Amino acid sequence: MATALVTKQKRIKKSSLAKRNLQKLLNNKLAVLGLFIVVTMILLCIAAPLLTPYDPGKISLFERDSAPGGEHIFGTDKLGRDVFARILYGGRISILIGLSGALGGMILGVVIGSLCGFFGGILDAIFVKVAELVSIVPQLLLVLILSTIIGPGVPNLIYVFIFTGWVATFRLVRGRFFSLREESFVEACRAFGIGSLSIAFKHILPNCLGPVAVQLTLNTAGFILQEAALSFLGLGVPTGVPTWGNIMNAAKEIITITESPWLWIPTGVAIALFVLGVNFFGDGLRDVLDPSQL
Amino acid sequence: MLKYFVSRMLMLIPMILIISFIVFIGLEFAPADPLTAMISPDQMSSMTLEDMEAMRESLGLNAPMLVRYGRWLVNLLKGDMGFSIVTGTPITNIISNLLPSTIKLTFAALLVSTFMGLLFGILSAIKSNSAIDYISSVLGVIGISMPEFFIGILALLAFAIRLRWFPAQGRTDVGLGAFGSIKYLVLPACSLGLVLAAALMRYTRNAMLDVLNKDYVKTARAKGLPEWKVYYKHAFRNSLMPISVLICLRLPMLIGGSVVIEQVFGYAGIGSRLLTAINAGDYQLVLVIVLLLSIVSLLASVFIDLLTALLDPRVRLGGDIGGAK
Repeated sequence: MATALVTKQKRIKKSSLAKRNLQKLLNNKLAVLGLFIVVTMILLCIAAPLLTPYDPGKISLFERDSAPGGEHIFGTDKLGRDVFARILYGGRISILIGLSGALGGMILGVVIGSLCGFFGGILDAIFVKVAELVSIVPQLLLVLILSTIIGPGVPNLIYVFIFTGWVATFRLVRGRFFSLREESFVEACRAFGIGSLSIAFKHILPNCLGPVAVQLTLNTAGFILQEAALSFLGLGVPTGVPTWGNIMNAAKEIITITESPWLWIPTGVAIALFVLGVNFFGDGLRDVLDPSQL
Repeated sequence: MLKYFVSRMLMLIPMILIISFIVFIGLEFAPADPLTAMISPDQMSSMTLEDMEAMRESLGLNAPMLVRYGRWLVNLLKGDMGFSIVTGTPITNIISNLLPSTIKLTFAALLVSTFMGLLFGILSAIKSNSAIDYISSVLGVIGISMPEFFIGILALLAFAIRLRWFPAQGRTDVGLGAFGSIKYLVLPACSLGLVLAAALMRYTRNAMLDVLNKDYVKTARAKGLPEWKVYYKHAFRNSLMPISVLICLRLPMLIGGSVVIEQVFGYAGIGSRLLTAINAGDYQLVLVIVLLLSIVSLLASVFIDLLTALLDPRVRLGGDIGGAK
């Protein structure tokens, strides 16, 4: 018994920072709940063909606007398409857009932010101005213009999100770099003759990744909401592709709002639930990585 | 203070210039003849191709791009924004009819969200770990997770269609007087403001808790100040700085959100006009609206910045601006 305790203590002592943080994260109930919601919903969307026999795009004119119950759990829409199937398949695309937009924006923001933060100078001045510009034009408007210029479509929407989403990460990373590059470990690296790029990306960057990960969750949540808003307006993804926003698009008419609530309430709840999960997880992550900002 | 004010105002000029230049370039690449956007449609219909070419020359459309940009900018400043290429109405008319409604909506939403966000944020910081703190934390995270239009549709269904407290189709507020227009404004402004309120509440709570742990709050308490004075004068005033930064960051989102909310409620503002213009391919109108909305959000954030500066004695008393930031 006693020896077991000692070995356990030894293991804790030996465990790395990452392991300790993981343990802290798992002790945070809200974060675990968030992760559970997110993972479950992603799995449900991936397993869509197993969960529903219906094709999300299949039009069946005999079953138009049928209320939930019976064969269709959430009923059918104006064209007789199964709403439950549309929510599951739509989730695949909505989550894909949100995640890949946020990831792309993160990579862009990290690269530009590290270069600007490390080297400073004219490069830095230019990108600070660009970031200021991008953040002053309301993001939804920017997305609106860009998607009208380059046209609708899933990949285009992802590009637009990457283009507008790098700013927050850029500011974070640049700010951290400014304080970290004066630290003595950087001087030590220089004294060893390590190259600048190597110092920037191998030695300083890992110290900035905590807030970047939190920002990634914020962006994912934000992009999923934005995709929904854009497609709701009819400007995001082409109407043929099922996404959460496109399903909600039907709720633009008062008659749909009052007469067929099954069309939009489950979808709205699905969006809110997924974003809620991402936010819970992000909050937990922040508490773990940055105890000062509780 | 004056120096700070002037420097903030001067910084606006290059920003507006750059945004307008980007919009101008957008116009250049838009697949539409600039002539149709510059002269009224009646005049256009009575012209031959040679006339058009002559017109083009006389309007300076064949001049180098920078020259044309300069002229376009001067015209904008004079209030001549050209004509909508789809309906043929002067853009200045469209804007002057609709922009005030949108500004009213956004301002109302900003008021609602600032009031609610600060109130509940402060309450949950003061009574941290109490029932009110937990309830508002949960509501806050749900608030930032809901799509704006979903909140809008739910509000529309509950308060306008089922309970009939407010009109379901909030058309516009033209000619209704101050009180007549308020009932059209309540639902859109509240649904628009709710998301920002939730974000603001979470942020205010954290900023207040941060300040409440500082030594000078302990000192204030130790010297026997009443609690409300500690909270108001020492804690709240000092947490205002980060809060106003967040409001400035979120303002463009609020203005973008107004486009969506106007659509949900059928509110006749510049946002719903923007959508019609996009669907009709009315590039001139789209870009001018985007330019104006960006300038509005720029001005609003400078305004909030100045307001915060007024509350900060370091800035108000003419101290070092760099230090105050």
